[in-house]
Amino acid sequence: MTRLKPYLYVAPLVLLLGFVFGTSLVRMFEFSFKMIRGVDGPWIGWRNYRLVLNQPLFWESVGHNLQLLLAIPILIGLSLLTALLLYERLRGWTLWRAVLFLPYVLAIPIIAVVMKQMFQFNGPVNEVLRWLSLDFMALDWIGSPDIALWTVMGLIVWREAALGTILFLARLLSLDESLVEAARIEGANWWQRAWHILIPQMRGVIEFFSVICVITMLSAVFAYVYILGGGRGGPGTSTMVIELYIYNALTRQSLPGIAAAVSVMLFVVSLGLIYLLFVVRRRQDD
Amino acid sequence: MTNPRTLVADGFKQAALGAAALVALAPTVFMIVTALKPQSEYMVNKVGLPREPVLEHFRAVLGSPEFFRWMGNSALLVTGTVLLSTAVAALAAYAIARMEFRGRLTLLALCTALMAVPPVVMVVPLFVLYTQIGLISSYHGAILIYAALVTPFSVYLLTTFFRTIPAEMFEAAVLDGAGDFQILTRIVLPLALPALLTLVIVNALWVWNDLLIAVIFLQDDAKRTLMAGIAVFQGRYNNQIPLTMAGMAVASAPMIILYIIFQRQFVRGLMAGAVK
Amino acid sequence: MRRTLPLLPQMRRRDVLLGMGAAGAASALPRHLAAQTPSLTMWWWGEQELPGLQAFVEESIAGYDAAQVSSMLQDTSVVISQFQTAAAAGSPPDLQYLWNGIYHMESVWFGYVKALNGLMDEGILRDSNPTVLSNFRGNTYRTGWYPLPMFILYNKDLFDRAGLDADAPPLVWEDFLDACDKLKSAGIAPFGGGAQDGYWAEWYVTHAFAQTIDTVGEAVELFIGDKDFRDPRYHEHWTRLQELRELGFLNDEISSIELYPGIDLVPAGRLAMSMSIGTRLLEDSNATGGRVGAMVLPTFGQGALAGRPIVDMQGLGIAEGSSEPEAAAAFLEYLNSPERLEAFYRLTGWLPASNRFDASLIENEAVAGMWRSWNTDNQITNVTNLMPGQFYEQAAIPTGQQVAQGSMTGEEAGDLAARVAQEWRDFNPDLVELYQEWVEDLSV
Repeated sequence: MTRLKPYLYVAPLVLLLGFVFGTSLVRMFEFSFKMIRGVDGPWIGWRNYRLVLNQPLFWESVGHNLQLLLAIPILIGLSLLTALLLYERLRGWTLWRAVLFLPYVLAIPIIAVVMKQMFQFNGPVNEVLRWLSLDFMALDWIGSPDIALWTVMGLIVWREAALGTILFLARLLSLDESLVEAARIEGANWWQRAWHILIPQMRGVIEFFSVICVITMLSAVFAYVYILGGGRGGPGTSTMVIELYIYNALTRQSLPGIAAAVSVMLFVVSLGLIYLLFVVRRRQDD
Repeated sequence: MTNPRTLVADGFKQAALGAAALVALAPTVFMIVTALKPQSEYMVNKVGLPREPVLEHFRAVLGSPEFFRWMGNSALLVTGTVLLSTAVAALAAYAIARMEFRGRLTLLALCTALMAVPPVVMVVPLFVLYTQIGLISSYHGAILIYAALVTPFSVYLLTTFFRTIPAEMFEAAVLDGAGDFQILTRIVLPLALPALLTLVIVNALWVWNDLLIAVIFLQDDAKRTLMAGIAVFQGRYNNQIPLTMAGMAVASAPMIILYIIFQRQFVRGLMAGAVK
Repeated sequence: MRRTLPLLPQMRRRDVLLGMGAAGAASALPRHLAAQTPSLTMWWWGEQELPGLQAFVEESIAGYDAAQVSSMLQDTSVVISQFQTAAAAGSPPDLQYLWNGIYHMESVWFGYVKALNGLMDEGILRDSNPTVLSNFRGNTYRTGWYPLPMFILYNKDLFDRAGLDADAPPLVWEDFLDACDKLKSAGIAPFGGGAQDGYWAEWYVTHAFAQTIDTVGEAVELFIGDKDFRDPRYHEHWTRLQELRELGFLNDEISSIELYPGIDLVPAGRLAMSMSIGTRLLEDSNATGGRVGAMVLPTFGQGALAGRPIVDMQGLGIAEGSSEPEAAAAFLEYLNSPERLEAFYRLTGWLPASNRFDASLIENEAVAGMWRSWNTDNQITNVTNLMPGQFYEQAAIPTGQQVAQGSMTGEEAGDLAARVAQEWRDFNPDLVELYQEWVEDLSV
């Protein structure tokens, strides 16, 4: 009985994960080698992979996910700056903190719908810019294929920076304050204290957040893109990303085999990244 | 304290924080202000305050049963998922952290690896599976998927947390004659409250905000979630911006209200999970 | 046919329209009838684009004794996937709403839809106008339910203001450009709408691409590779759009707003011409005191389909898995009875598809005018109903959006279309064969 007890405790977990992931992951690999119509089809070897890897649209989607990675330094920089400012604990800082975390509380689809109105060509943002005589900055934020992905990126930074700020602030508040105090007494200014004393101690959490950001940009931007891109990664194919590519292949093109092949590739890449995350976390723990 | 240089520097810092707060708040303010404008006014006044605020859009949204049905559906999914995944994860994490058994580390490694699975990847095989066993458009089917997607992280987090609880506490409990289940419910879980809070918040937000699983696995109109509902809502009324914004405001109200009430627990809970 | 309200979560590209049925899943109350009365389920859609259809469905069911029918209004985004999923699982509804062309032909090819000839009265079936796109291997798979004329909506007051004859809109491209020029000089945005969600690009293909071909089968030949989009003739419609863009004749916000807000600009007096559909006409006409008109897209093309009015047709069909196909067919015949056709008009204010409808009942002048000029033997169907999903998503929509926005030329659009058509053939060898066979039914 005692020997069986541990298994009793983990049995629900094994059942749950087994039901959802068990056969599904296996079938995902299986489907990627089949020409699926409906729920099954003939084995076609690597053909799905060849088709996908030879399709410009696939590479364009991958490129867009990679382009989103460019936002990470900005995201981290902004979060860090805000966290350091909050850490000063000036009058009313808890109110600022509450407001600055608000973006993370709003659901992505809701905020994307709101932003989509704000960034219309003749919408409020451009009206303000034109009123300020900044007409050259009144771009077609969501209508131009050259700009739309940058607008998406802005929205992602806007929301994810809220999480970054809170994570960084939590780390700051857990630090031993005597070092900072000593530096202050020796006349180090705010910037020097931040750069030489605080930030070095935050390496672990910054690395951790970076990896989370990479995973987000590669495989968790569906809701942003779906709404800002008019449901199909537009204008043109300018906001098409891997998740949307899989979604389209599955639901709009009746090509589950193709969707599975791309899923397998995304899975393998994500597995590599999560491994990286743990290497980082372990280092942070040490 | 009254050093003028410090005062100036603090002024700059406050200004910077104020600017950031402004950017963070702008969309919410735009949403609410616009919802209070008559349609005709929005056409000519997209930025300013409403000249004569109207409540007709809020009344229209609150008067339609859809919104409450969608919220109810989302709340049901959130509750089901959080309860299921927390219970499953707590049991398993306790065993992994505190018991010796074969396959322990394999199980933990597997869980960790499953954290790497992007939800979109699971859609294809699960859709086929659910079609075959008739689970499309069922609440329990969707809850199982949501729970499975959030549980690996929960197990990982709770295992880490349980391991930090001093061994002496367990030994004392065993001496008092407590069994494992009692130790788990009476000692470990109360101690792990911050971590549990983190999990509840993160997982609830995740399920509440999800659009992907919701649109694929809950196709039935009567089971639509809030996120899928507002997506449809904005498509239906995309030429009536103030009405759309009223819908968005009402849709975000539950989380904003919860956030305002539990703001400290919210932030503290997230912090606890993030930086162990 | 997607068209109507664009919405968000589309499960499949075909879903298009928008959703939010005013009433959700309504099921008819079970009625106490003899045990032998067959029971039927009907999944339908359309209240979204034609308010009043729900009332018609409910009244029809309540007044029908030969079977007990329960109905469910489907959400726009799942009209096709829900049916296909249920059919694959072996539990489809008996009666199913079917959009035209590939939107139901794919289900036919998968074996989910039953041929109607032989099952119901041939005369009633023919008169319901299912259109040629419902035929495969000599069988017909739908009855027509209601027509959806597609046209260019224009604002007569704006035409007047620019010194144009509001009752004689341009017929050929040169006159169209001339009219646009006059409108622009008068400070009025001449043509456009909203392309952000993509449907505008689809409708543009409906109107402009049709001018370049002689039969709808010719469009299919382009997909299966017998003809090539790089041939200037077959991307001329995009070149013409580029021309409109370069001359500054498209409204400046076309790329950032959606389909319906774009059409709304016409009755609002902020845009002279946009593409629209019949079910909106009554409302737009009333909103402007009758000061909007409907015209065919002026012609540039030499194809046999150029300059002809376009009518798409919504329809109903019977699932292959239905256990009561005869009862379902009888119900379809009942919906096409003169009394039901009249009820359709009375409850929706719009026209049913069948020739058996008494057109003298039409009261509204705008609707009657549309009936006279669009319901002729001259009418053609909507070519986008032939597009494979992959082509629709990856070529038709992206090209239209980018040409209208100015970041792609007509020629580049032709190159992209040719490439995507080739990719579709590589990805779907099995569908290519079926399409090839379909052409035989279409090239008439």
